Amino acid sequence: MSDMLISSSESDKKMKLASKITRPVNWNKIEDPIDLEVWNRLTSNFWLPEKVPLSNDIPSWATLRPEEQSLTMRVFTGLTLLDTIQGTVGALTLIPDALTMHEEAVYTNISFMESVHAKSYSSIFSTLSATAEIDDAFRWSEENVNLQRKAEIVLNYYRGDNPLKRKVASTLLESFLFYSGFYLPMYWSSRAKLTNTADLIRLIIRDEAVHGYYVGYKFQKGMELETPAYRAEIKAYTYDLLLELYENEIKYSADLYDPLGLTEDVKHFLHYNANKALMNLGFEALFPHESTQVNPAIMSALSPNADENHDFFSGSGSSYVIGKHEATKDEDWEF
Amino acid sequence: MEKPKDSSYNYHELNAMLNLYGADGKIQFEKDRQAARQYFLEHVNKNTVFFHNLKERLDYLVEDEYYEKELLDKYSFEFITKIHDYAYSFKFRFESFLGAFKFYTSYALKTFDGNRYLERFEDRIVMTALLLAEGDEQRAMTLVAEIISGRFQPATPTFLNSGKAQRGELVSCFLLRTEDNMESIARSINSSLQLSKRGGGVALLLTNIRESGAPIKKIEGQSSGVIPVMKMLEDAFSYANQLGARQGAGAVYLNVHHPDILKFLDTKRENADEKVRIKSLSLGVVVPDITLDLARTNEDMYLFSPYDVEKVYGVPMSDISVTEKYQEMVDDARIRKSKIKARKLFETIAELQFESGYPYIVYEDTVNRDNPIAGRINMSNLCSEILQVNTPTTYNEDLSYNQVGKDISCNLGSLNIAKTMDSPNFPLTVEAAIRALTAVSDLSNIASVTSIKDGNDKSHAIGLGQMNLHGYLARERIHYGSDEGVDFTNIYFYTILFHALTASNKIAKERNKTFVGFEKSKYASGEFFKKYIEKEWKPMTARVAQLFTESNIAIPTQDDWKALSEEIKQHGIYNQNLQAVPPTGSISYINNSTSSIHPVASKIEIRKEGKLGRVYYPAPYLTNDNLEYYADAYEIGPEKIIATYAAATQHVDQGLSLTLFFKDTATTRDINKAQITAWKAGIKTIYYIRIRQMALEGTEVSDCVSCML
Repeated sequence: MSDMLISSSESDKKMKLASKITRPVNWNKIEDPIDLEVWNRLTSNFWLPEKVPLSNDIPSWATLRPEEQSLTMRVFTGLTLLDTIQGTVGALTLIPDALTMHEEAVYTNISFMESVHAKSYSSIFSTLSATAEIDDAFRWSEENVNLQRKAEIVLNYYRGDNPLKRKVASTLLESFLFYSGFYLPMYWSSRAKLTNTADLIRLIIRDEAVHGYYVGYKFQKGMELETPAYRAEIKAYTYDLLLELYENEIKYSADLYDPLGLTEDVKHFLHYNANKALMNLGFEALFPHESTQVNPAIMSALSPNADENHDFFSGSGSSYVIGKHEATKDEDWEF
Repeated sequence: MEKPKDSSYNYHELNAMLNLYGADGKIQFEKDRQAARQYFLEHVNKNTVFFHNLKERLDYLVEDEYYEKELLDKYSFEFITKIHDYAYSFKFRFESFLGAFKFYTSYALKTFDGNRYLERFEDRIVMTALLLAEGDEQRAMTLVAEIISGRFQPATPTFLNSGKAQRGELVSCFLLRTEDNMESIARSINSSLQLSKRGGGVALLLTNIRESGAPIKKIEGQSSGVIPVMKMLEDAFSYANQLGARQGAGAVYLNVHHPDILKFLDTKRENADEKVRIKSLSLGVVVPDITLDLARTNEDMYLFSPYDVEKVYGVPMSDISVTEKYQEMVDDARIRKSKIKARKLFETIAELQFESGYPYIVYEDTVNRDNPIAGRINMSNLCSEILQVNTPTTYNEDLSYNQVGKDISCNLGSLNIAKTMDSPNFPLTVEAAIRALTAVSDLSNIASVTSIKDGNDKSHAIGLGQMNLHGYLARERIHYGSDEGVDFTNIYFYTILFHALTASNKIAKERNKTFVGFEKSKYASGEFFKKYIEKEWKPMTARVAQLFTESNIAIPTQDDWKALSEEIKQHGIYNQNLQAVPPTGSISYINNSTSSIHPVASKIEIRKEGKLGRVYYPAPYLTNDNLEYYADAYEIGPEKIIATYAAATQHVDQGLSLTLFFKDTATTRDINKAQITAWKAGIKTIYYIRIRQMALEGTEVSDCVSCML
């Protein structure tokens, strides 16, 4: 299925590129400072799943009940599917629409990191679980109507020919659709379960937050060039799409979370993130404040900042960056 | 939908609300207190085994082999009843949710199935006091008062294990030498397994292991160097854990003039190959002055083959001063060498610290200059605060000991600075702590590693630490790292040292016994006391003088030191080492302290631990009215932290775990500059480097306390 999609978007892209003059990207001439800021942020955030000592979660995994394990596996296959779309189709289809050369470069980085994310879920699977269970979960992801529907909706918009609509689809995916899945590892970590897995997911959330912000920002830039009438049309379209996805997402979440009785809280979490996605796109919130009151344990668990304190018994955490190199000068060494 | 009422939140959720601003934009401290209360109602009380009375409880616990019978037999039942009543009379309440949660999850005695609690906080303290008082009723009562008032807190292994029949060791921390032969390497791995099983963190010295490519039995290019040894150690540590209580943890130290130094550092690279990548082992480098000097003049630094160095000097590389012998070794053709740029080494260290927080740094020459004990210090431990002399062990062909050298163990415990300043009897508080730690040393018998056992029997080394400096300063409305803050640190540590030495001298008199090698120490020669007798130490600021006056704490005078120095010259001291300031993780939460003498990492700290998950901890004494005194470590920056530590370092015989905190705008140069500043200020070791990355504007979690600058 995905092969076919890649080839169709590939041909789209070729047509677009043919009409452009090829220029070398010049990072010394920045047209939009946000490009550089986000590029720097993304590169210093670079990470690989091997960094996180997932195997420390094996004892904790064993304490989950079978239905909890199966839920966890399903959630991660769902996330894998989304990241696969995002890595192989999503971010790449945004490249032809880029307003600056640097924007293109940022999308390639986003695309690569999405593939890292997709691979990270595989690391989680292979560390915690056996092949038979993994196969089961993958089969479930292929058979679950609501998950497939979600993929289909997003893919349709990526395939469409409207750059702004593509960005809307991408932002909703990055800032909204992932979160029904992210809920679970945050839930576990707030209960002292699978905490290293949660660290890895937090690294993913850290990336997705920047991706959603950036694509949303580029969308707003694009909107500025449009007529008020068209802007209104796109806005209406965004809310329609969001509601379509939301309806499906509610069903999908119920499929997953009903057995544990968590669906209500997941809904609040979805409302919160839907509003966040709209904010990224420059639109006002859809869901009233009261309906976005997520369980505080989940909300607090989201913050990926380095205030988290851990010692050598606890693994490496979700907060480190790749350093900026600067040679010392003679005056630094005066003593 | 209507917002649920607080009572419908469970304790996890209430605790998490601490990290979210309330509707009024203020931090919701009351939610954390509710969380603590809710935790007892929902969880602890429901899961505690009920006994009708103390007798029934103790009989059951001894009968079913939860408590050590021999320990309780040292005291009459009448006294045990009295001390229990005494402990409960303090009406102790945990100040934070994390304190309670941490205690019950990690310390309290549980039924063997792990489901129900058999102890409350008071019971744990009583068992600890009974053990460490070694049968002395008065000392047991004193210790209960000291611990439950929060003045003294024994380190985790002691507090966790005291009095339990099924337990690990009371000691936290071990340091082992590894020499350049297969017997010693194998012994090191075996010892690491044994010590991890007993609950310790283990550090190993790898400086003496021949480099990769060195000859074996004169055949060139055979040795594979230190990396495969690190791999084996890493596996050993992840295999062993203390009855599942915590994972084994290890550190390895290497002198920067070892030829494998860059490979050693590269094991922590983000993109390191799986074959060489080190994930959970901590790394430390030993840096002599000469290295900084070569960097200053921007020269190459030579790396020396430990195999050749040992052949030429007849002692392992760790036992010579590289600074002293540097030129000699450079000129000696028998020692094979390679070279790298000295500044490049420091840059590489800083790069790795960005990526991984490692390596720790030991400034070898500073450490040895300040060492009052005869012998050489060439490594530190897992938290970089233990600094003691060691000697090598040699083995026979059948792996038995030929000559047992001296390896290091250290038991720790910390004073809560705020509570100690509030103590009704400051000297007694210090003395009780020194006696408790000495008892741990007396009671320790690590038979599985002979060099450790021997070392402990000879040295009785202890490490009295300190915590809650930032909490205390903030409570007194003093900014961390301000002139007053540094002045207080200086005078506090100065006063502690005086009473710690007095207590150790008292023990030596009582037992008519000193540590082995006292007569060769700077304590015996009097050299140690020079700086206190010849110079007057007193507060430089009125505020600090006032704090000591208000607390009724006498600041020792030059005459006091003269008298003490005479007493010590005559009777010696019992403990080879007295102070070491550890980073204090878990115990500072239980004790409601800020960690060690660091600034807080955040006003509301996020704590992640295997057993706890994500929990939120409010800085001690923090309210919505005194937020300004709780600038966090990243805002405070390295200079003020270094100044504070330097003030303390001059009165501490061992080391202090010093973490440096940087914002993500820092470069490797900023880290290098801080390392140079620290070295110039006389800092002995640097522990972790922490970098904080702030969320990109527009991507942060809304209303989150720990996300704000």
